Amino acid sequence: MSNRTLSTTGTLKRPSSLYGCRSKIGRACAFLDLFFLQVPLTHRTMADPDLDFSTAESGASATFPLQCSSLRKNGFVVLKGRPCKIVEMSTSKTGKHGHAKVNLVGIDIFTNKKYEDMCPSTHNMDVPNVKRVELLLVNITEKYMSLMADNGDVREDLRIPDGDLGKEIEAKFKEGDELLVSVLSAMGEECAVAVKSTPGK
Amino acid sequence: MMAAVGAPEVISQLESAAKVLMAPPSMVSTEQRQHAEHIFLSFRKSKSPFAICKHILETSKVDYVLFQAATAIMEAVVREWILLEKASIESLRTFLLTYVLQRPNLQKYVREQMLLAVAVIVKRGSLDKSINCKGIFHEVSQLISSGNPTVQTLACSILTALLSEFSSSSKTSNIGLSMEFHGSCKRIFQEEDLRQIFMLTMDVLQEFSRRVNLNAQMSSVFQRYLALANQVLSWNFLPPNLGRHYIAMFESTQNVMLKPTETWREALLDTRVMDLFFTVHRKIREDSDMAQDSLQCLAQLASMHGPIFPDESAQVSYLAHLVEGLLSMINGIEIEDSEAVGISNIISNLITTFPRSTLTALPSELFTSFINCLTLLTCSFGRSAALEEVLDKDDMVYMEAYDRLLESWLTLVQDDEHFPRGCFVQPAVQVFNSYIQCHLAAPDGTRNLTANGVASHEEDEISELQEDDRELFSDQLASIGMLGRIAANHCIPLLTSLLEERVTRLHGQLQRTQQHLLASPHAGSVDRKVLDDLYEDIHWLILVTGYLLADDAQGETPLIPPEVMEYSINHATEVDINSTLQVLGSPGEKASSIPGCNRTDSVIRLLSAVLRTSEVESRATRASLTGLLSPQMGKDIVWFLRRWAKTYLLVDEKLYGQISMALSTAFGADTEGAKWIVGYLLEKVINNLSVWSSEPELANDTVELLVTLVEKRERANIVVQCENWWNLAKQFASRSPPLHLLSSSVQRTLMKALVLGGFAHMDSDTKQQYWSEVLHPLQQRFLSLINQENFAQISQEEGVKREIVATLEALCGIAEATQIDNVASLFSFLMDFLSSCIGLMEVYRNTPETINLIIEVFVEVAHKQICYLGESKSMKLYEACLTLLQVYSKNNLGRKRSDVAAEEDQYQDLLLIMELLTNLLSKEFIDFSDTGGSDEVFRGQEQGTAASGRSVSAADVVLFGVNIVLPLMSQDLLKFPSLCNQYYKLITFICEIFPEKIPQLPEELFKSLMFSLELGMTAMSSEVSQLCLEALSPLAEQCAKTQEKDTPLFIATRHFLKLVFDMLVLQKHNTEMTVAAGEALYTLVCLHQTEYSELVESLLSTQRDAVIYQRLADAFNKLTASSTPPSMDRKQKLAFLKSLEEFVANVGGLLCVK
Repeated sequence: MSNRTLSTTGTLKRPSSLYGCRSKIGRACAFLDLFFLQVPLTHRTMADPDLDFSTAESGASATFPLQCSSLRKNGFVVLKGRPCKIVEMSTSKTGKHGHAKVNLVGIDIFTNKKYEDMCPSTHNMDVPNVKRVELLLVNITEKYMSLMADNGDVREDLRIPDGDLGKEIEAKFKEGDELLVSVLSAMGEECAVAVKSTPGK
Repeated sequence: MMAAVGAPEVISQLESAAKVLMAPPSMVSTEQRQHAEHIFLSFRKSKSPFAICKHILETSKVDYVLFQAATAIMEAVVREWILLEKASIESLRTFLLTYVLQRPNLQKYVREQMLLAVAVIVKRGSLDKSINCKGIFHEVSQLISSGNPTVQTLACSILTALLSEFSSSSKTSNIGLSMEFHGSCKRIFQEEDLRQIFMLTMDVLQEFSRRVNLNAQMSSVFQRYLALANQVLSWNFLPPNLGRHYIAMFESTQNVMLKPTETWREALLDTRVMDLFFTVHRKIREDSDMAQDSLQCLAQLASMHGPIFPDESAQVSYLAHLVEGLLSMINGIEIEDSEAVGISNIISNLITTFPRSTLTALPSELFTSFINCLTLLTCSFGRSAALEEVLDKDDMVYMEAYDRLLESWLTLVQDDEHFPRGCFVQPAVQVFNSYIQCHLAAPDGTRNLTANGVASHEEDEISELQEDDRELFSDQLASIGMLGRIAANHCIPLLTSLLEERVTRLHGQLQRTQQHLLASPHAGSVDRKVLDDLYEDIHWLILVTGYLLADDAQGETPLIPPEVMEYSINHATEVDINSTLQVLGSPGEKASSIPGCNRTDSVIRLLSAVLRTSEVESRATRASLTGLLSPQMGKDIVWFLRRWAKTYLLVDEKLYGQISMALSTAFGADTEGAKWIVGYLLEKVINNLSVWSSEPELANDTVELLVTLVEKRERANIVVQCENWWNLAKQFASRSPPLHLLSSSVQRTLMKALVLGGFAHMDSDTKQQYWSEVLHPLQQRFLSLINQENFAQISQEEGVKREIVATLEALCGIAEATQIDNVASLFSFLMDFLSSCIGLMEVYRNTPETINLIIEVFVEVAHKQICYLGESKSMKLYEACLTLLQVYSKNNLGRKRSDVAAEEDQYQDLLLIMELLTNLLSKEFIDFSDTGGSDEVFRGQEQGTAASGRSVSAADVVLFGVNIVLPLMSQDLLKFPSLCNQYYKLITFICEIFPEKIPQLPEELFKSLMFSLELGMTAMSSEVSQLCLEALSPLAEQCAKTQEKDTPLFIATRHFLKLVFDMLVLQKHNTEMTVAAGEALYTLVCLHQTEYSELVESLLSTQRDAVIYQRLADAFNKLTASSTPPSMDRKQKLAFLKSLEEFVANVGGLLCVK
């Protein structure tokens, strides 16, 4: 079972009937089967291209508060107004009988800049809603990518990122590879952060 | 080359080369510098350079050239030793010595080099009977008696040079001789010459100690000889018949104890020797540098043991003399700061070295004075150590000395039965009191008071990396706890009253603060000084109480310390059990207000004092005063309760010869007391987890207490009867505040505890109900989430992501709770999740933090469960893991990320994957599963072709995993030690378990595997090197089995033969490695017999000395004699390993050259 399903990096179109073929008892199994059949389930709500991408979720706010002590390394936090990935997290206290404070080091998920902050561990901090989607690259026009969601909607408002990643995207696209671009969005900003290429044909 | 040109040319050439070398870097080019270096190197290699060197020494004015000439002489003498006339060697030595003597203004480094040359000549000559180098001692003694300080200093330098040249293979010069040679030289030296040096030194010290006034120059000479004496007394006497490997190991020991051979009796048992050092110390004790040496000499004398003592009485009288000298030295002086460590070393060495019987054989008055002196000294050092802390000194000499003395007390009282009964009680009381006093605030104590009584109060920033006092001072606390047990009559009531009194004060202070806050809520901050002082007092009292009442148990069931038990039994008649239980059961009331409170069992009363502290804390949190409390105190309380519960809760009478009625009534199995206290502890845990979620360490200590309560079935049985426990379970399952605010690691452990509790004794209905409230909600929430039609669309929503992460964390916690009797049910529960997790790998393929956590779940399950799983269940797990790896690989192939965290993420994934693979492989070593006869089937499937059936073998999973891991392992990544070790563990396992798969690997993979092995053998830590050696035998055996020549594996093993041969025969290496290397060598030899013979031949052909050649050739013959022709037979292999040991002992020293 697994061999067959894993050998193909499937196309984006899937018969939607699969979603309906679950019995209540076999729910967990059906769930598994779905993934083995490689249904890219991640971006089906990107239907309306007119909506601002970062607020596409209905009513989803850009950030939410979380008690400092329940943040975790590798998670996200807003430092100095910027959405960051937490790369270091430690606690300290003032005096032996003092209360804990959390020291955070984060890296801006868009600019890779480093930020630090400290906060009493009982306080809340803002955590950004971070979203990642994978879109198929269909064309490149003057540094702008045409990206297609699996429902066929195409958006053309994202630039090719700077640096090695951008070069890789352009090079691989020229070679005719099939490229899936990961787009990261948080707090009203978005950016292509990764690409997965499959040699064409 | 040198011989062809005349002396003046050589000198001028060398001098200009020296000028180049000494010039500032900007003035000369690299080529010029290299050329100059080359000139000196080839000069030093020239044949018989003695005449020209002498000429240089006499004429040249350039220090560096003189230095090189001395070096050239030294190297040439050793090189051409056999060719030289003995007389000319002798005259060379005299020349060098005279040269130095006649030039007092020689540069220090030139002089030292000259003397080194002399020492090397003496050393080389010491094994050569035909030459007499003893003359040197006569000459030195003449120099000493000259009375001229400069000459005496020179004499000291000569002796020092000799001493370090002979002392050990690590300090010795590299003169191209075998380790065996160095060892023999040392043995001869320590019997004769070393003693002579010692006698000369003693003469000088004697002489100086008689002088009334020493000028600066004299005193500097004095200091040098004192340092020399210290060096002699710290000599690491080499026992006879110690092999090469042991020599290296032996010489690496630090803190050498003095263990001279019998021949030293006369020299060291003479009481005048010891007296001299006491006299010397008295004379110079104000000079801190010299005092260090003189005290170190005395400490070495205090460590003396071994064959030097002809009988026990000699040892007793030596010790008596030492103790008398020590007492009269200490009494009546005010100890200098610089003396503290030295004096404590003398005492600690003495107590460690001399047998108890020798100590008790001392005249009783002397013994008593010694103990009294030790008591006073300990108390005084303790106070000074406290002062050092207040002043925040960098150099904590008193703390070091105090540690040393407390350690000595522990050694003494642990053997308490050898000494007169009760002789340590009073000293214990004093040391205990002074410790408590130093740690309590004024007025009861002196904490934070400077010498003139001023209080200092600073608040430092403390990072999480700083150890808690309970670990930082664990040695001190263990000693004080032990002394407290010895004097339980005094110490237990003392701790109780101090703690009760402070708890009452804390209660009052918190109440006043609360009223103050209620009256004027905006009055600004509260003064925390009073509170902090109370917290610090309570902190130390609880730590000492914890160490006194119970031991830290690791693994085994800790017992109530016999002293504590005895104490409780002895006072049974004065105790009223009911009032005791009354005091225990009402932690909310003041102990002294309860009727009959003066008739309680003191051990229980002390526990209840801690419970009162805990109760004040809990009530304060309920009154919203959490902000005023100390998380540190909170930690101390749960730490104590955990330690206490492990030892006292449900005390098992069968483990004790006699048991205290009070303790068994209060805490025994099936008692109301035990039930009550379990309920109380549970309430404490729940309260802490709800109010202290923001204090990670406190929350962690708390949840560990919870684990302690449920990890033992007997305790868990009581726990699950508490309603609170069920509430906790429900609350956690509902993932609502406040429990979901806890850090992820605490939540994991909480999950573990909840699962462990589920295996307590319950009737089947209750049990079903329990699981339906603990585990089922988890499953239901998860399934209903992932089965939503639009799951993929909402998967990136924050709430969804958090729900998923919480589930994954909980799964890790569940896996952690695995025990042999619950694995069956936990495995099937977890297995359902694992399948779904693979689906999650797809959905979250571009969310690295989630991917990492998913892999971790697999790692935990494999780690905790694989060893218990039978064949079909293992298969299921293998399949799941294989699918996981395939999905991971597919999703990461051709992926490129731009963020800086990409490498770190990958490193973490790789580490986890390797851990997973290693865990899967560990099944081959550790298997508790009950498969019985079906094992056969399992193996058959494993070795058969995996592709044929639907089943998956461990080999497939692991090799597939290696396929993913290997291409990503760069040498840079290997610099992470954890990753490096994990990686090598994995590839060694693979070679050992699936050698037949290795030749089938794709070429690239094979090559990098072989390269990894070579790298690991030669360039990594010895642990890794050993792993790689262990991987070689199975590979060679595999080659032998297939009988195919010229396969890549066959060629690779040939290369490894040479590597292992060199490693074993020619290089210094760890003894632990000999076995691994020997086994590898043997199988490789079997495989490549011709190549092995060639290696031996070429080694022999480099030996010019006929005797050595013969010895080596014989040794090599003997090595393989028992296994000719070598075959992979186990018996032959063992015979070979045995011969190898002999081989290494006999000729190893000849080949390993330094």
